[in-house]
Amino acid sequence: MSAVIEIEGLRKTFRSLRSGRRVAVDGFDLLVEAGQVHGFLGPNGSGKTTTLRALLGLVRADSGRMTVLGEPSPELLPRVAGQVGAIVESPQFFGNFTGYRTLRLLARAGGVPVSRVDEVLELVGLHDRGDERVKGYSLGMKQRLAVASALLKDPRLLILDEPANGLDPAGIREMRDLMRSLAANGVTVLVSSHILGEIQLICDHVTIISRGRRVATGRVDEVLAGHDRHEFLVRVAEPERAVDLLHAAELTAVVDGGALVVSGVSDPTVVSRVLGEQGLWVGELTPLRPDLESVFLELTGAYEHSSVPRQVGDSSLPQGEAVIDLDRGVDA
Amino acid sequence: MNLVRAELERLSARRFVQLMVVLLVLAFAVTAATTLAGSHKPSVSELNSARQQATEARQSMEATFRECLARQGGALPTEDGGMYLPADCSEIDPVLQDRLPIAADFLPGVFTFAEQAQPLLYFLIAFLVLFGFLVGASYIGADLTSGGVVNLLLWRPRRVTVLAAKLGTLLGTVLVLALLASVAYLATFWVIGQAAGLPGRLDGDFWRSLGAVHGRGLVLVLLASALGFAIATLGRHTSAALGAFAAYAVVWELGARLVLEIVDARKSDLFMLSSHIGAWLNGGARFYDERLCAGGPGLNCDSFYTITWGSSLLVLLVLAGGLTAAAFAVFRRRDLI
Ligand SMILES: Nc1ncnc2c1ncn2[C@@H]1O[C@H](COP(=O)(O)OP(=O)(O)O)[C@@H](O)[C@H]1O
Ligand SMILES: [Mg+2]
Repeated sequence: MSAVIEIEGLRKTFRSLRSGRRVAVDGFDLLVEAGQVHGFLGPNGSGKTTTLRALLGLVRADSGRMTVLGEPSPELLPRVAGQVGAIVESPQFFGNFTGYRTLRLLARAGGVPVSRVDEVLELVGLHDRGDERVKGYSLGMKQRLAVASALLKDPRLLILDEPANGLDPAGIREMRDLMRSLAANGVTVLVSSHILGEIQLICDHVTIISRGRRVATGRVDEVLAGHDRHEFLVRVAEPERAVDLLHAAELTAVVDGGALVVSGVSDPTVVSRVLGEQGLWVGELTPLRPDLESVFLELTGAYEHSSVPRQVGDSSLPQGEAVIDLDRGVDA
Repeated sequence: MNLVRAELERLSARRFVQLMVVLLVLAFAVTAATTLAGSHKPSVSELNSARQQATEARQSMEATFRECLARQGGALPTEDGGMYLPADCSEIDPVLQDRLPIAADFLPGVFTFAEQAQPLLYFLIAFLVLFGFLVGASYIGADLTSGGVVNLLLWRPRRVTVLAAKLGTLLGTVLVLALLASVAYLATFWVIGQAAGLPGRLDGDFWRSLGAVHGRGLVLVLLASALGFAIATLGRHTSAALGAFAAYAVVWELGARLVLEIVDARKSDLFMLSSHIGAWLNGGARFYDERLCAGGPGLNCDSFYTITWGSSLLVLLVLAGGLTAAAFAVFRRRDLI
């Protein structure tokens, strides 16, 4: 499959008189291939927006190599700009214009037929509100308008920065369906978010960023599998005795509430055999699969000091080369 | 071309631009209405009396001049009946005067187009210069702060093209507006002169000089627009242009002028933008500086110095052009957040 977005070693430092140097992106890599719906996940302040801005030529990177649809960015970005629809952070629109007029202006500036405006308004569910002024829109409606503006060009690549911001649950679902149908039509989508459940539902691939560096990347199910500690939840009549029995069988088990959590189990039948042989019948044996949330919290270290309020940008760095790259891991 | 059309729509939809246009029309209407109300078509007897008064005034000037010459020649005593006579009679030579009394000077309450057109045009140009500067600054300033530029750049990731389209649209719009406004303005007052006043002497000389002021005024309006646009781009805000303007006026035109006075600098007006604006508009300007003649003004020392329109145009062009070029250079590379 061909690469639609490639980023290698992207680095960006902001310098300001007041707060000095701030490394926003610190040697970040990203690979998005054609046809993917790729999630770009990271806590607030981890550098997602800065990465997208650098990719789209809005901020100047200190170093790193980037390509969009095969063209080096930002130098030759204009060549492919007609095929890239993007929103970066919540875009601001001119409040006095109606949604329709806003899009018509953009369509005109980009040489897109004005008839396309109605189509995209329909797509994002703003068709009936297109002739209202933007300043009267709710946050979610503005977000929809932003997505509509990104779709105007009928792009091959769609880049959305936190598109779910301000959307109600129904809106999030519609956004998800929209992205799925786009992906089904061959559009490659890169969507950033700090909302894990969303990424898990929408995306097939994910890259996790923490403090400006990549901490995991790959297919969503593989990233999850990579963090599977093979834990099972076990319910039995006498949990304390069961723990002793399992320890004797050299398994790790702890009592958690009224149930047991057994870890490091490659074959769950072992658990029921060990306990059954001693007359303890297993009432429930459930695999504890990690969800993206726990992987995310683990990778970004956003979970550790739970008694202290976590500060923005206070997540962990990847240790050395310990980046989980399942795409490559599988190949090797 | 598409970009310019989109920009045109954006510019004309700006509330601030609309407000300024309304203000322009309003100021225009008020001036025209008060002029109309305060003017009447002079009757034949009024005209005759005014003509006579003008003739008498010219004759009295002649008489004074002759008297002065006579005294210089020693034909008359130096002491005379309280009439002021200068040492150098050429100062009151009627032939050397800028203008001589004409009938219009003796017609109170009568608007004379030929006499008033130029000051009226200056007023309009002053308004349009302010209009251009403020609109230029707010147009790009608001777009930079609201993220409109970023939106556009996501569409057309060519910064120089996008900024140039904006500047071009601005200058084109301001030029067309200024042309329309000045034509409508002069036409209205011309009609007032015809219908409720006097047209005055509208000969080729009059139209040529009015046209020259008009042309130079339009250039000034365009330069002011580019300047406002450039400063707001450099400072990322409309207020940067306003602040720069206020700071310049206070710190330089007032403060530095004082300092230059104190340190006895010569020809301090050369360093003031206002002198150059005046020199450009009037086709040159003369300034007085007594320090130029150490031993007091004498026969072979001139306390006046001039700024020609050419040099002042150069100063204005370098300033506006330099800042615009700097704005483009900075905008090409800067981080747009
Ligand atoms: N213009 C800027 N000036 C200074 N620091 C910035 C600027 N933009 C972003 N940053 C910093 O860079 C880091 C990453 O920000 P950002 O990319 O917006 O994160 P995210 O989008 O993942 O929430 C943050 O620490 C932020 O404070
Ligand atoms: Mg962000």
